[in-house]
Amino acid sequence: MAHQAHAYHMVDPSPWPLTGAIGALLMTSGLAIWFHFHSTTLMTLGLILLLLTMYQWWRDIIREGTFQGHHTPPVQKGLRYGMILFITSEVFFFLGFFWAFYHSSLAPTPELGGCWPPTGITPLDPFEVPLLNTAVLLASGVTVTWAHHSLMEGERKQAIQSLALTILLGLYFTALQAMEYYEAPFTIADGVYGSTFFVATGFHGLHVIIGSSFLAVCFLRQIQYHFTSEHHFGFEAAAWYWHFVDVVWLFLYVSIYWWGS
Amino acid sequence: MRHLLSLPQLASRAFSTTARQMRNKVPERQKVFLEDNGLPVHIKGGTTDVLLYRLTMTITLAGTALSFYWLLRASMPRGKAH
Repeated sequence: MAHQAHAYHMVDPSPWPLTGAIGALLMTSGLAIWFHFHSTTLMTLGLILLLLTMYQWWRDIIREGTFQGHHTPPVQKGLRYGMILFITSEVFFFLGFFWAFYHSSLAPTPELGGCWPPTGITPLDPFEVPLLNTAVLLASGVTVTWAHHSLMEGERKQAIQSLALTILLGLYFTALQAMEYYEAPFTIADGVYGSTFFVATGFHGLHVIIGSSFLAVCFLRQIQYHFTSEHHFGFEAAAWYWHFVDVVWLFLYVSIYWWGS
Repeated sequence: MRHLLSLPQLASRAFSTTARQMRNKVPERQKVFLEDNGLPVHIKGGTTDVLLYRLTMTITLAGTALSFYWLLRASMPRGKAH
């Protein structure tokens, strides 16, 4: 059996980049076909393909790292850079929506009544559910840090409990926000206020769901003894992502919910 | 005899939470994935891997063909829905 004389990871040939790309093609073209022909087949096929690709690709990474030992220190360093760069790209994504919000709210046009919130809009009280949501996410930041320290100290049971608590807090936020969306006195169609509010908070909510899912996978892996006290990068990546989601919420809360009311 | 001796353990396992009594199966999985059989990681796990791969590739190819069909249909001037 040939052994490599270096610490880097030469990956096995994989079909998932191709299937993922085709999945993206089917989802986007499927969206256009849904708009013009009222058929959702293509888009649904694309969504299924994307989910299958994500499951198998990430399953393979777990196999390569945890079961095959390919995640040596230099490889892990690359994974860290990768996650940081990805989160940075997401920061820029949200920056765009904050730009849109401030563009419209700092100089409200005559069509809006020259004021912000615009005439006719009853904004949500920032000291009711939005404040609770802030507390929930801040608490989840504490519990995820607790989980990390538990992992590093080899405290298996505490790591599992604190991780579970973090996920529950994430789900609680999602449920509260869903209720707020349902009860809100304004909709996405209510001018630029509605657009900026629901697009910015909507994408944030999607990221909360993604982050909760990532943490849930870490929870299952922790139960199955995948993480060691020295090596648990999957968890760290999930924790970084979760802190990012938390920080985005703080900006949303201060800008849109509080200042914007 | 070994099975009889592990009965109390089995009984408690049946009533405990998964988290508390889960056995560490990582060494077994490591053995499977480090086996020198030349298989790439995406099908090295066994039959389920191969079936899932075939399902995924079928959807990939069928979907590509379907997208070409819709592209042709969308390019036609008539028969387009309102």
